[in-house]
Amino acid sequence: MLHFFLKRLALAALVALTVSLISFSLLFLAGDPAIALAGEGATDADIHAIRTQYGFDRPVMEQYLFWLKNALAGDFGTSYYFKTPVINLIAEKMPTTMILGLSAISFAILLSIPLGVLAAVKPNSLFDRIALFISVIGQAIPSFWFGLILIVTFAVKLRWVPVSGSDSWQHFILPTIVLGYYATPAIMRLTRAGMLEVLRADYIRTARAKGIRPGKVLFKHALRNAVIPVVGLAAVQLGFMLGGSVIIESIFALNGAGFLAFESISRNDFPVVQALILIFSLIYVLLTLLADLLNAWLDPRIRVA
Amino acid sequence: MKHILLAAMIAHSALSITPAMASGADNNLTVAFPRELESLDAYQNSSRGGVILARHIWDGLMYRDPASGKYVGNLATEWRWVDDKTLEFNLREGVKFHNGEAFNADDVVFTMNYIADPANAVKPQRNASWIAGAEKVDDFTVRILLKEPFPAAFEYLAGPVVIYPNEYFSEVGTEGMGTAPIGTGPYKVTGQKQGERIDLKRYADYHSDSPKGKASIEEITWRFIPETNTQFAELISGGVDWIWQVPADQAERFKTLGDFVVSNESTMRIGYIGFDASDRYGDTPFDDVRVRRAVAHAIDRQGIVDSLLKGASIVVNSACFPSQFGCEQDIPTYDFNPEKARELLTEAGYADGFETPFAAYRNRDYAEVMMANLSNVGITTSLNYLKYAALRDKVQNGEIPFQFMTWGSFSINDVSAITSNFFKGGKDDYARDPQIIEWLTEADSITDAARREELYSMALKRIAEQVYWLPLFSYNTNYIYGAGLEFTPTSDEIPRFFNASWK
Amino acid sequence: MTEQTINAPETGGPSWAAQLRQRIFGHLGLTIGGGILTLIVLCALLAGVIAPHDPYVQELTNRFASPVWMDGGGWDHILGTDHLGRDYLSRLLYGARISLLIGIVAALISGMIGTIMGVSAGYFGGKVDAVVMFLITVRLSMPVVLVALAVVALFGGSLFVVVTVLGLLLWDRFAVVMRSCTMQIRDLDYITSAKALGCSTPRILLTEIMPNVLNSLIVVVTLEMAHAIVLEAALSFLGLGVQPPLPSWGLMISEGKDMLLFEPWLITIPGVALFTLIFAINMLGDGIRDVTAPENRN
Repeated sequence: MLHFFLKRLALAALVALTVSLISFSLLFLAGDPAIALAGEGATDADIHAIRTQYGFDRPVMEQYLFWLKNALAGDFGTSYYFKTPVINLIAEKMPTTMILGLSAISFAILLSIPLGVLAAVKPNSLFDRIALFISVIGQAIPSFWFGLILIVTFAVKLRWVPVSGSDSWQHFILPTIVLGYYATPAIMRLTRAGMLEVLRADYIRTARAKGIRPGKVLFKHALRNAVIPVVGLAAVQLGFMLGGSVIIESIFALNGAGFLAFESISRNDFPVVQALILIFSLIYVLLTLLADLLNAWLDPRIRVA
Repeated sequence: MKHILLAAMIAHSALSITPAMASGADNNLTVAFPRELESLDAYQNSSRGGVILARHIWDGLMYRDPASGKYVGNLATEWRWVDDKTLEFNLREGVKFHNGEAFNADDVVFTMNYIADPANAVKPQRNASWIAGAEKVDDFTVRILLKEPFPAAFEYLAGPVVIYPNEYFSEVGTEGMGTAPIGTGPYKVTGQKQGERIDLKRYADYHSDSPKGKASIEEITWRFIPETNTQFAELISGGVDWIWQVPADQAERFKTLGDFVVSNESTMRIGYIGFDASDRYGDTPFDDVRVRRAVAHAIDRQGIVDSLLKGASIVVNSACFPSQFGCEQDIPTYDFNPEKARELLTEAGYADGFETPFAAYRNRDYAEVMMANLSNVGITTSLNYLKYAALRDKVQNGEIPFQFMTWGSFSINDVSAITSNFFKGGKDDYARDPQIIEWLTEADSITDAARREELYSMALKRIAEQVYWLPLFSYNTNYIYGAGLEFTPTSDEIPRFFNASWK
Repeated sequence: MTEQTINAPETGGPSWAAQLRQRIFGHLGLTIGGGILTLIVLCALLAGVIAPHDPYVQELTNRFASPVWMDGGGWDHILGTDHLGRDYLSRLLYGARISLLIGIVAALISGMIGTIMGVSAGYFGGKVDAVVMFLITVRLSMPVVLVALAVVALFGGSLFVVVTVLGLLLWDRFAVVMRSCTMQIRDLDYITSAKALGCSTPRILLTEIMPNVLNSLIVVVTLEMAHAIVLEAALSFLGLGVQPPLPSWGLMISEGKDMLLFEPWLITIPGVALFTLIFAINMLGDGIRDVTAPENRN
């Protein structure tokens, strides 16, 4: 187990390193941070001075190693726009994105696992059809479109929820639904497939033959085994959601890390973009690591592989 | 499945909106701005929202009365030129900062010396780069020293140059000022949530002689809402009382909703087309003045103003905003005449037209109309629509041959804020005309108004004659707010909530 | 990504081909998906013939004309006109070209990259597999929307840039699926015998492996096409997609978005079109998987 854990951890670190190198080269090769930093009305001499001061005239690899050295010490540099440490900015905005991501994945799980189970218990029933319908629709509705339509309907017309902002839990209802909806089809399909497979398995038949109550069979024996891959998928989906919350945060004026990333891209604020890409990928890597460990713990067979 | 969609589609398009109006019964006002601020520190902030907020929290030595356009005293009561590089001010007595600190000459001297020091890197530099420093004469008399004679000094002292409390600022620095600002202005900051909102409360002890007047609104909630639709939705549902910079189409619809006042005011921002006339980008057809004239004749500027900008917008011919000092209007103009454009192109050897990249960063619809106009005379454009920061970098690097951009002159009512920026040989200058550079350099460094006017006139005539720039139109701003609010928009694009009140 | 359990259709026809035919037409999703997609492809191909107007011609005096079913609508502009007075139906028809083009080219690029990586990983195993798996993890951990936005913002949006970026970002699923498919068959008898006969590796890969992973490949192609089309729409929505005046559906939604509260049909029409296209592609993909999945073969 420990060996497995260490190996995975080393891999995770290597992945994060590679991602940061790729995004660093992309951002700093394509844009000219010196001009962005010098601001309006700067002279050529100013720009040249900044280029030297920040070391933009050095080879990219050297700049990257310098950045990496600081990043490892928790210093992601200073935002060109806010002139404050990037890490403070992110610390300030990350909680909103985290709340959104966690509530969205909870929403997705609460919606899709029961539907997936019901659909598997009675294939081709009404539930199965509803589940299929939701999953097909969910995959095909563009999120920004869905979000706008929810705002118009529930916030402007019906006034059940606030339009935008993040002051209260009510503000998170619509964004949670829009973001969570996209993880629903995949989780539901996997739950349904897993349940169908498990329900056909010998030990379930045995349990049933022994006369154990159907409810107990379903939830204690079947779901527990079917849920193993679902845990992994949910973790992966959460990672995708956090990285993909840009659009949702922009529509609902949620002042989170996703929106910060979008705005920073617009402002050529490279240190912030670079740090956010790294952090989002770190979160993803850690989540998948967590899911693997959980799977390994729940299902010892995986460790061998 | 199909039926459900169809039903949803019909239900959706038949959606009716009933506004829920804020009454203003509590005498509070919620306003929405699209972009969050880098900092509340007025000198670490160059965005429009920050400029506006600064006028509410702080005061300047002077104030430009928006109705008459005249400079009146605010923290200063009288002033005089000692020589053409020294300004002396008598200061107002009995003024207190929000924290109780008394205002006197030390605050002014401290502020001027602080912003004049390049090491403090105030944003934007142009607000302070003309100041050499300040000295105290007595407790309520100061002298401001200029580096060079600077004709627009009053404009800055009545606008972005606000006075900081020396004791408080020395204690908390720019970071403290950015989070808990203290000024003498009509409103004080009581709280903020970074990137979401700022809470303002009327300053009860605001000096009664201020030309800004006594504020009526008790509390102002200053919200940041990036999505315009979300702003509209908030306005309709009563979450916000005031929004601005609403495009003409949506403003028209708001008018039909009733319950809202839509007011329109011209702004100093103008749109223009820039050409690579001096081979900074490379060898382009725009080297030929006939091609640039053809573009001028090809674009239906009046049509764009009439159907898209509407409101107070006008077609602009001279490379400046008409109200700016020195903005000569007696210059060669180019009417909308595609036939003539084609003739000029043929003369220039482009009978079959040519292809060119075309860059823009805002108003994609205007750009699309221009592209259609150009294609009509044989110029095929491929649009490169970039974010402002990215496009500006490229323009200043000489990487863009042909672009639609805009310039707001920082609301400075003097052509030096626009013409000199683009034609004095700087990074934005794609004409690089030595004659124009010489005229503008002289005009910007003297105070003799008549001579300045003459020099700018010559430069603007030559710019128009050579079509180094194609000025397009002026922008306008639509303000939308609840019918119960008394609010007067001004052409400097600085909404003054301290002059607003509920009926 | 997810394995769906299949309700095996009735079988019993005399020949395999007849069974396949029966399965294809007996599968509701496949028929609907394929039907709609064929229709959209026809619209795209014949846009020049069936579009009532030039999609680029502006009529500034006739902006926001209502669609025919609304008050003030007329048959001249069946789906109304946009913010520049261009015929919405014509733009929608030409827009199908752009959306399909983006989907197909992005899927081709990513399919090429992903298949090469996946098949090599699955066939050679060992170090090659480890490297490919690592690259897949790296790719998966990069936030796609953010990276795409950053790249498009830096290089400027154009059809070429958008398609390339999407193609370079969406290869992960191809690699994952191709790798596991190849692994499943690489040790089968006919492959080992081909090796024994001295066939060259490229030959084995092309003539023995590829035909047998083709079905799964087609399924992933449909998924990634849909993915690319939605992503382009999202990029356009954020103002960083393909450039006007190209009538991409994502761009149409983005342009109509400004009038969301007042003329919601401007986003409803391209939104429904986009939804229908994605829906059809997904149905088709699911159908192909159901019909051709190896479990279904007797």
